[in-house]
Amino acid sequence: MNSRNLQGFFIFLAVGLASAQPPGSNDDPGIVDHAECALFTGKRERIVAGGVGANKASGLGRLTEDVASRLGWTQSFVPGGSRTGALQQDPLAGLGTIDRNLFGEMSKAGVIPAERTNDFEFIRRATLDLTGRIPDPIRVQSFVADTRSNKRELLVDELMAKPEWVDKWTMFYGDLFKNTSATSQVRRYTEGTSAFQKWIRESLGANKPYNQIATELITSTGTNSYTQGDLNFVVGGFITGGPQQDIWDGQTVLIANTFLGISHLNCLLCHNGRGHLDTLSVWGKAQTRQSAWGMSAFLAKTYASRTPVQAGDATPYYWFVADDTTRFRTDYPLNTTTGNRPARQPIGAQATVAPVYMFSGRGPKPGENYRVAFAREVTGDFQFARAAVNYVWAQFFGKGIVEPLDGFDPARLDPANPPPAGWSIQPTNPQLLTELAQDFINSKYDLKALMKQIVNSNAYQLSSRYNGKWDPAWEKLFARKFLRRLWAEEVHDGIAQTSGLLPSYNLARVYPNSSATEAWSMRFPETEGTPDAGGVVTRFLDSFWRGNRDDEDRLSDGAISQALDLMNDSFVMTRIRGTGNASLLLAKNLSLADDQLINTLFLNVLSRYPSASEMTAAQAQLKTGVRTQAAEDLLWSLYNKVDFIFNY
Amino acid sequence: MIYGNDQHAKLLNRWPKPHATFSNQADLSRRRFFEVLGAGVTGSYLMRPSNVYAADTAPRVTLQSKAKACIFILMTGAPSHTDTFDLKMVNGVTPTKFAPATMNGIFWPQGLLPTIGGQLSKLAIVRSMHSHALVHNLAQTWTQIGRSPAAALGDVAPNVGSVVAVEKANERTVNQVFPTFLALNAGGAIGPGYLSANYAPFKVVPATAGLANTSNTDGQARLDARLKFLHSIDDNLRVNSPLGKAPQDYDAFYSAARGMMYNPSVTTAFSYTAAESARYGSSSFGNACLVAKQVLAANGGTKFIQINLGNWDMHNDIYGAQTPTGNNLFTLGKQFDSGAGTLLADLDASGLLKDTLVVMVGEFGRTVGQLSGSGGRDHWLQQFAAFAGAGVKGGRAIGSTKPDGSDTVDYGWKYNRYFWPEDLQATVYSAMGIDYTKQVDTPFGRTFEYIPDAGDGVYAPMDELWG
Repeated sequence: MNSRNLQGFFIFLAVGLASAQPPGSNDDPGIVDHAECALFTGKRERIVAGGVGANKASGLGRLTEDVASRLGWTQSFVPGGSRTGALQQDPLAGLGTIDRNLFGEMSKAGVIPAERTNDFEFIRRATLDLTGRIPDPIRVQSFVADTRSNKRELLVDELMAKPEWVDKWTMFYGDLFKNTSATSQVRRYTEGTSAFQKWIRESLGANKPYNQIATELITSTGTNSYTQGDLNFVVGGFITGGPQQDIWDGQTVLIANTFLGISHLNCLLCHNGRGHLDTLSVWGKAQTRQSAWGMSAFLAKTYASRTPVQAGDATPYYWFVADDTTRFRTDYPLNTTTGNRPARQPIGAQATVAPVYMFSGRGPKPGENYRVAFAREVTGDFQFARAAVNYVWAQFFGKGIVEPLDGFDPARLDPANPPPAGWSIQPTNPQLLTELAQDFINSKYDLKALMKQIVNSNAYQLSSRYNGKWDPAWEKLFARKFLRRLWAEEVHDGIAQTSGLLPSYNLARVYPNSSATEAWSMRFPETEGTPDAGGVVTRFLDSFWRGNRDDEDRLSDGAISQALDLMNDSFVMTRIRGTGNASLLLAKNLSLADDQLINTLFLNVLSRYPSASEMTAAQAQLKTGVRTQAAEDLLWSLYNKVDFIFNY
Repeated sequence: MIYGNDQHAKLLNRWPKPHATFSNQADLSRRRFFEVLGAGVTGSYLMRPSNVYAADTAPRVTLQSKAKACIFILMTGAPSHTDTFDLKMVNGVTPTKFAPATMNGIFWPQGLLPTIGGQLSKLAIVRSMHSHALVHNLAQTWTQIGRSPAAALGDVAPNVGSVVAVEKANERTVNQVFPTFLALNAGGAIGPGYLSANYAPFKVVPATAGLANTSNTDGQARLDARLKFLHSIDDNLRVNSPLGKAPQDYDAFYSAARGMMYNPSVTTAFSYTAAESARYGSSSFGNACLVAKQVLAANGGTKFIQINLGNWDMHNDIYGAQTPTGNNLFTLGKQFDSGAGTLLADLDASGLLKDTLVVMVGEFGRTVGQLSGSGGRDHWLQQFAAFAGAGVKGGRAIGSTKPDGSDTVDYGWKYNRYFWPEDLQATVYSAMGIDYTKQVDTPFGRTFEYIPDAGDGVYAPMDELWG
């Protein structure tokens, strides 16, 4: 950021704030209480930097106050303490789906939620969650200074309109749809991966309804997976070393995991549920292999195979996917004795299985394409909406309402129809899941509307800090925000962006739809080998467990290698310098007076101002030894702070 | 391998409660976990659900338990068995440069692999090994996880090295800061599967300067000054954190990382001179073998080292008749021979070999007899595996093949069947003293048997290696 702009902005803030404070809201920490960062100290500190602070009494965020008031907690609210006072009549009326259900459960349990985020916390959290980026420091300042009561909603709209929103969610759905160029089973080659990424990117860019995305992926046909991106989804179900039925089963499992969140179908395609799923799934233990075959039978007229790029060479190849071709005009044949799954033998006189959707008992209409019928059943299933919202919910709240995300038990979702004794209802908040899924359907499967609903909820805006004793049993209530370690791509892009030194990777050599000068790892087509085929940047990204979209999931775990990299890797070390490249954050701002420099570095990297004790420590630091080096050491420390590494 | 309902019923009857969770058996308290935190060790921030049954730690099978560590050399791309460990001279095809000789009773391409030829007294070569599949990625994964990637749990199954890391975690001492599971030149090594990233391979590409990022370009003094300053402004989040345990765990990783930095033991183990590298052939594979030896000598807690050596997929010009300097058996064989041969010699000289199982294997074999039209060999199920160390009786070939090497004629072990990748990994487990029939619960509830169906005798270790 330009130092002159920043200095100017301090003046603006100092002048503007006195009148910026809305009347009657002096408890709102969003305007001036920001830098005190209760989050960081456990007690409030006077802000000294930039003239923007004023000591404030401890107070609830306004939105949390609203809720607390509805719950009858206003007069006696002690964060982290116990609730006293009687509930008002219907205190939750008027709240949205998320708040009504979550705060309702907290109220029943007598659990006080965490405080509301301040504006600094909120803009960083929402910007990272929605776009995978660190917020622009100018925008942080203007957001904090904004006095409009709906500024958070406006920010959410603004963020979701950014191209970075498409980048982040293309990465997310690339993970979910397992878009990778090679697995142990199948090769799409980088051309196919690139085409699939482009298709996802364009679908999200157009905010294509999610049921349409699913339908197109389930039903796609065509002759060339290098040029037709959507072909690459069902290709991912391909299984080697077995008969055609293994492939149909693989494709069905992929569809069920991705769009229904029901991975136990995989088990059922080998054997009946009884004797296998008895302790795992109430639904699954009552199902039969035959009924699961009814699902795979929707794929039985589908042929996915390879076409060599050059005639005569086995590799490389692209894929075609076709329906109702020769040899693919019957129902699912029961005639296998080899392969990856147990033998499929005729059931009495029945040599084939016709498609029947397990959850509705329906099959294709007369003359209807089998996969079109399957897509109609899957996307028309309420479970489709439940699974979709649960996948997205987990990204924002740190864990799903149902866990694991693909481990739904359809017989344990409805409290009105409870499972047998000894089994619990699976969702931590079943009513919330049901209403959220219904809202999603009512929105016509609008992913942006879903994310907007989530980020605008009071529950999402709760602080991750909890005053007082926290009971892990409250995790399921979502009574505080859970920390999320930044994705590998967010670490990389965040350091690149805030340091002012953008890398340049030539992905176009391998991925036809990518740029020859790509700076942002969030735009990489896949998470393995990019951007430098196992080189130093690949290694840096892999330290943060980005997964491989095959047999390694993206993980949020920490690791020693992450600490080694953040402390020492050249990707970081070249970006903390105060000399050399004039576009570097520190080089650009080194001439600022100490306090302003400190504020500038904090605001750029951590999206907040320093607390009083941080300011004091940083001031002393800058007076230690050579100033340029001291400033580099300060910047290094900010990139190694846990409030940089985590979204909190 | 697939199984039907009958076998499942048998399993359940035999062990009505056979499950032990990873978090329940031989496991570490949280405090202990961070005491012995080593590289590759990580923490996860939200609890993963898991069923808990009483631990059942008594092995149900007899184990060899001779190895304290394992070096697993995966020859990716699939080496030609009949040109190497199961040599068959084909008139007019096999180059005379192979200079075959009978060494220690083994017919050997002394001209191609002379260093290993000098170490044959330590090697037991299994010639009855068969692959299940002829697709590279699939068979490579199969070999590393000891089960079909396409079968149940196949897509979430951990690398055998990760299971070893779980099993051996409790043996670490406070001073052991090395990764339990080290993967050298093995960027594509299979990861921890459904296990926590705690047990992931710590992936390293060896370099003369040592382990990446264990020193700072600005020097140790400035690094420590920085860390001191960092703590002064960050400990309110790192110690008794108001944000929960995740930042506290992260601080533990910083402490452990600092423990690996400027650590003479780490530096010695992971760095090397040009002269040392030259002894191992001055190749990246040779350097990996050198580092593997040094890491084991450091006794820093490393239990499983996977080394990958690729480019064995020689469909074209396998003997370098067209392009002698290209990738062919002679150029790649030289790297392999110098690295692996010197590794065996050095491990033996230092006394480490008696406690270290060394495995060399590809994902399948290659076609035999005449070459293909493009002068190469294509994919073939018949293959080999070679073992050394940890009490394995060397100087032997176990099993034998047809005159052309296309198939096994004598299986050479008591089960009188092919030796499969599952058997190979059961052998590794047995050597390490790990019950390969052990069944544990997974976070998603399904039972995970270390080697599928081994409890039913479907797969088994090859005890003949020791007999």
